Amino acid sequence: MNRARSATVVAALLLGGCGVQPSGVTDAAEAPTGIAPGVTLYFLDQNGTLRPQQRRSGRLGTVAEAVTLLLYGPGQSGLRTGISPSESPRAEAVTTPGTIELRLPLAAGEVTPPGADQIVCTALATHIQSGGPARTTVRLIFTIPEPGSDTPRTCPLISPRAPGR
Amino acid sequence: MRWWPRGLRVRLLAACALVAFAAAGAAAWAGAESAGDALLASHGQQLTRTVTDQVGAVTPSLSYPPDQATLDRLRAAVGGDTLVTYRGLRSAAGTGPGLVTPELRDAVRDGNRLVTQRVVAGGTPWLLIGTPVVITAVDGTRRPSGIEVYTARDLTGVDGRIDDLTRSAIGAAALSLPLAALLALLAARSVLRPVRELRDTAGRLAAGDLGARTAPVGADELADLTVTINEMAGSVQASMAAMRRMQADARRFAADASHELRTPLSTLTAVMEVLADTADDMEPDARESARLAIAETRRLVRLAEDLMEVSRFDAGTAALRVEEIDLAVAVRESLRARGWLDRVEVEAPGPLPVRADRRRLDVVVANLAGNALRHGGPPVRVRLGATPGEVWAEVTDGGPGLAASALPHVFERFWKAGSSRTGPGNGLGLAIALENVRLHGGRLTAGNADGGGARFLLHLPRDAQETR
Repeated sequence: MNRARSATVVAALLLGGCGVQPSGVTDAAEAPTGIAPGVTLYFLDQNGTLRPQQRRSGRLGTVAEAVTLLLYGPGQSGLRTGISPSESPRAEAVTTPGTIELRLPLAAGEVTPPGADQIVCTALATHIQSGGPARTTVRLIFTIPEPGSDTPRTCPLISPRAPGR
Repeated sequence: MRWWPRGLRVRLLAACALVAFAAAGAAAWAGAESAGDALLASHGQQLTRTVTDQVGAVTPSLSYPPDQATLDRLRAAVGGDTLVTYRGLRSAAGTGPGLVTPELRDAVRDGNRLVTQRVVAGGTPWLLIGTPVVITAVDGTRRPSGIEVYTARDLTGVDGRIDDLTRSAIGAAALSLPLAALLALLAARSVLRPVRELRDTAGRLAAGDLGARTAPVGADELADLTVTINEMAGSVQASMAAMRRMQADARRFAADASHELRTPLSTLTAVMEVLADTADDMEPDARESARLAIAETRRLVRLAEDLMEVSRFDAGTAALRVEEIDLAVAVRESLRARGWLDRVEVEAPGPLPVRADRRRLDVVVANLAGNALRHGGPPVRVRLGATPGEVWAEVTDGGPGLAASALPHVFERFWKAGSSRTGPGNGLGLAIALENVRLHGGRLTAGNADGGGARFLLHLPRDAQETR
């Protein structure tokens, strides 16, 4: 009788061991991100220093949208920009692991070095906010390049060792 | 209830097979278990990555703070059984939302991480994935946005594959059974063969074949046991041989001694016959001495003859010459020859045919009757009878009977009872009578009759077989 009972227990254990068992709550991964009340653009103040500006657009948008918005200029905010205004600003972005390639409707001569930082920082900020890693470089591709204008760049205000992916 | 098998072979076989099956089963089961776990883990990782990617792909285009339409878009992006909440708002589809457990909800609210939980609902295994959608600042810091996504993914496919793994594990374990049984059989044979040989040898030893031996094989415990048994058999054989030799020596001595005594005794007897003839002319004193010498010489001759008879029994040279006789007639003739017919009552129901050795039967009857006359008291009776296979004779006397302490020794050689049993007998009579009865294949027992006298009961088979 006892043997029969223990045999039943063993069989139950063996059969119970098969298949998917319920589990407790398990930590699995980083939470997804990318939601934001607006987009961060970078302009220059009176001293020519790089400054972030929040645009309450209601959503984060893509890197290309953010850079396009940057090309439209600072508007009435009292900040300046190092990028020459253009007729129909429209940037294109191709993101590969570690690099964002920005195709700009501008000649290299139309952008000052701080202006280039503005573009790089804006692109990186959006990239980070949408969950991308901070250790990413940006290549600017102008309509008329200058020697060294398409080297990978980083933003002086954003540390590549910032938390996040 | 005895279901455990008795045989060593069966027990060895069962134990071996059981152990092998258990080991193989445990190994296969553990393997299947860890493979199943790995399968489940990788499948879960794949599912969570898909959900993360789906959410991350759509979030940059979602307005924040979200409205119902935004939540619906997010839910549609994740697809399937999904629930999306933001404060009071919620967007749900499928059975997934009903499965979300409170602890999963708490884990999503408290941490900024994606969490998972496996549940089984209605026999279907589900992977619940819950995650907040976080806002990442430009410097990389993350904070909850208040949007929570819960989705349930069906694990039936994985479950089926894990079941397959388990089935194949059981199959693999079952495959090990015949192999284990084969190994156990081989092991049992190698152990049991020497044991069987030892048993056969021991059986032959017990049956009297003292030369039986087993050749020890190998150097294990069984070989030690074999060597020990061989030594034991050797020493038993040696002591048996020594004992037989001593017995034979003793018998030969008795036979030789009595035989050597015969010739001088014959001479002595002849001289005594002469002496007896002249005794009547002697002086009274000398005559008395001569008669005593004659009587003692006769006893001596009788003793020598009895000893020779005993020696023949011991040597196995006593021969039985059977013929068809009537027991009643034989008994009466025996008594008449000794002149005892008037002192012994014979009761016979009629003719009692039996195949027996007339001379030896006469010795037995004379011994029993003479014993009763000498040591017991009147009346001495001989009752005869028959059963289908045997004839019997009962000799009783009216004396004091045999003492209880004497009964076991009555038939021993040279044994004489106490004071009432002194007399002319030499102590060999009953022993010789018993040997004669045994030679016929019969029985002779001593006891006491109801009236108190000694009672000897003789049984003889009707058809004794002739020897030599």
